[in-house]
Amino acid sequence: MNRKKILLVDDSSTVLLMERMILSKSPYDLVTARDGWEGVEKAKAERPDLILMDVVMPRMDGFEACRRLRADDETREIPVIMVTTRGELQSVESGYESGCSDYVTKPINGLELLSKVRNYLGE
Amino acid sequence: MSRAKDIPDPPPPGGAVERRERDLQSVNTKLRDLIASLEGQRQQYQRRHSEGTGPEPVPVAPEPEDLEKRRLAAELALAREALDQHSRDEERLRERLQEIEREHRRICDEYVVVEERNTDLASLFVALSRLHGTLERAEVMAAIQEIVTNIVGSEELAVYELSPGSSKLELACALGVDGSRRHIRLGEGVIGRVAAEGEPFVAWDRACAEEPALTACIPLKVGGRVTGALAIYHLLGHKAVLGNLDRQIFDLLGAHAGTALYLTALHQRHGFGAG
Repeated sequence: MNRKKILLVDDSSTVLLMERMILSKSPYDLVTARDGWEGVEKAKAERPDLILMDVVMPRMDGFEACRRLRADDETREIPVIMVTTRGELQSVESGYESGCSDYVTKPINGLELLSKVRNYLGE
Repeated sequence: MSRAKDIPDPPPPGGAVERRERDLQSVNTKLRDLIASLEGQRQQYQRRHSEGTGPEPVPVAPEPEDLEKRRLAAELALAREALDQHSRDEERLRERLQEIEREHRRICDEYVVVEERNTDLASLFVALSRLHGTLERAEVMAAIQEIVTNIVGSEELAVYELSPGSSKLELACALGVDGSRRHIRLGEGVIGRVAAEGEPFVAWDRACAEEPALTACIPLKVGGRVTGALAIYHLLGHKAVLGNLDRQIFDLLGAHAGTALYLTALHQRHGFGAG
């Protein structure tokens, strides 16, 4: 069976480890990037099935990274779930304007994350 | 070879067909006579019976219409029985389905509880890994901040440290707060009292009147001795209340954050960090 690939983009080791712990229960290939710029590069190189993207990051934030992914033919179809500490409506709207598919708030709820990931991977 | 099979039977010899027809006609005539004789006897019996002088009449075969009615009645009875059986089966299956649905809901509820517990354990594991994954002071401080931000859910915190023999807490790092309160005497305010008494403060259901912005203050300990305090202020907007995991994280931070910071100091003191 073809294993699904997920790109985790976050500058926090705590969040990356947390996401790895939650997603490791399913057979996914996990790739990580530490900021938006690296995230865009890895998305082009790795062609993941899904991206989990933090918002506040050095060099390039999650919104900008998402806009760049959507502007590129190679990556425009990849679903992006924003992982953010900002749950306010304004912030969520900004996320959708940048082209993200969905969002989850921190602290991460494992069930919510797994449910959304499986949904976007068609499982 | 079976050549004989391929050859049709020869026709009977001349006159044999006529002879056979004659024989059959003779048998037919005898049978008719026999039927007529039996019919005569039957009528005779019936006549005698009606006159009370003969034996019981030979039972008359039912008319075809009666037979059809009986057949239909029997079929109807069978169909009713089958319908009853179907109804009973349907009822049994319906009960079984309800039972399965109840079991399904119970398993779903259990799954949610197990998944939540898994996430809690993962959070505790991540917190411990981050605290003890380094001997660099700055990284331990960053780990404390990340644990509070990403696992507890607050972007406002301050870490105070207590030097051995000192009676004043000193601000070691702050996130999201002004940091103007650089020193706090032991026993002064909520934070000072937490450090002096070694007991955590948590505003579980209502704000602290003395320091309304404070959500929790955790004493940082090394081997039972207080070495500092972690003050956590407002929670993130979408996090309404503290939960069971937060209590466990506070316990973990109290026991391990102080130790991790102490180990970085030891590490520096012994010159291992010189590279």
